Amino acid sequence: MTVIFQLNGEDCRFDGDPMTPLVDILRQERFLTGTKAVCREGFCGACTVHVDDEAVPSCLKPIGLVQGCAVTTIEGLSSGNQALHPLQANFEAADAVQCGMCFPGMVMSLSAFVRDNPHAGRAEIKAAMVGNICRCTGYERIVDAVADWLDQARMAGQVVRGIHV
Amino acid sequence: MAPSVERSFTAASTIEEAMAARRQGAAVLAGGTWMMRDPRRGVDLPEALVALHRIPALSKVEIAPDHVVIGAAVSHAVLGRALHGAVGFEGLVAAAENAANPGIRRVATVGGNLCALDFAAADLPPALLVCEATVELETFEGPKLIGISDFLKDRHALLAEAIVTRIHLRRDLVASAHIRLPLRKAGDYPVAIVSLAVDKDKRCRIAVGSVEPVARRWTALEQAMAADSASAFDPERAAGLALEHNDFQGRDGKEAEGWYRRQVLAPLVKRGVAALLKTGGLA
Repeated sequence: MTVIFQLNGEDCRFDGDPMTPLVDILRQERFLTGTKAVCREGFCGACTVHVDDEAVPSCLKPIGLVQGCAVTTIEGLSSGNQALHPLQANFEAADAVQCGMCFPGMVMSLSAFVRDNPHAGRAEIKAAMVGNICRCTGYERIVDAVADWLDQARMAGQVVRGIHV
Repeated sequence: MAPSVERSFTAASTIEEAMAARRQGAAVLAGGTWMMRDPRRGVDLPEALVALHRIPALSKVEIAPDHVVIGAAVSHAVLGRALHGAVGFEGLVAAAENAANPGIRRVATVGGNLCALDFAAADLPPALLVCEATVELETFEGPKLIGISDFLKDRHALLAEAIVTRIHLRRDLVASAHIRLPLRKAGDYPVAIVSLAVDKDKRCRIAVGSVEPVARRWTALEQAMAADSASAFDPERAAGLALEHNDFQGRDGKEAEGWYRRQVLAPLVKRGVAALLKTGGLA
């Protein structure tokens, strides 16, 4: 089967088994290895990407369902030559990243969450992270960084219509 | 990546197209969150599939003053948002908003949740049981309506020749609640689920999920609570009756043994009645 979709803003074509998990195409065909294949059961969140702006686990997304969709991976949030996504910059500033395995998924889940929930508090941030497991257990610092960024954005008046990501 | 497989894949744009693929032997693919894990369970993926996500009629929630219709391809996240604040559907909203994790809820569908035959810990079946939902099927002979209890009991045979298309709900509840017990606060399959609802005649409906292989109404407790009308609004009394009328055979599983699933039902009923009392309809 041939599947045509947008990948980080560019046209992408896949020929093969329509039940191939999206994560395998990203990593093995497109070499976008920021998306991690860890549990492959939708529990850990390390493979989270945006499909049509929604944060979803790419390990459970058969490529056949991606026909005509827009996929954004961690590499698509900011290339190496650009400024980091504000959430990434805040994580770096807060030194929130530990081993880094969960982080692409954390950023993809939370960037969509803060875009849609600019007035979220700590409880909502934690609820949004339920599907992203950090085995370094650095959760509180991540929550701090997200909450700080939302505070900064609110003070800067950027949240009238949500935060652009 | 798995070796290249010749697999037939139809993204149906109409129910008729989906049924044509079913007649050719295609399996139904909903969000994929259950089926994509088949290989990990030692089950081969189907050789032919038909996806329903491009059928507009199956992807919406219609809310009328006296009823609600939910398309089978509606995700948990969309269902939760659509019914948020609707009196009587607090339990169904809680089921949709607390199942699995946020990423799964954006993908997993109502139809998929009802049709995953081996998924005993699904959240929507008990919530829909207390709504006394009607399941609409498209069969080879045409559309068919069936009560959710009968659907859950017979779905293995029914789904051999049908596709679930919509869920119909009456708006006859004044309050409902959905109590689930995962071993951790979130992210686990629940050990046991108790859904409760109170209708306009103040009758209490109760259903249990995850304890037995298939969710079912707890009729023995419903009858006991009907005979002791104050118990519907007294958590301690309801829990006492739950202990007395516990007729469940707990299933052994990875998360918990059967005796434990059975044992936690009375405390969950207590929590459920307390949650009912906090809803707008009963407060």
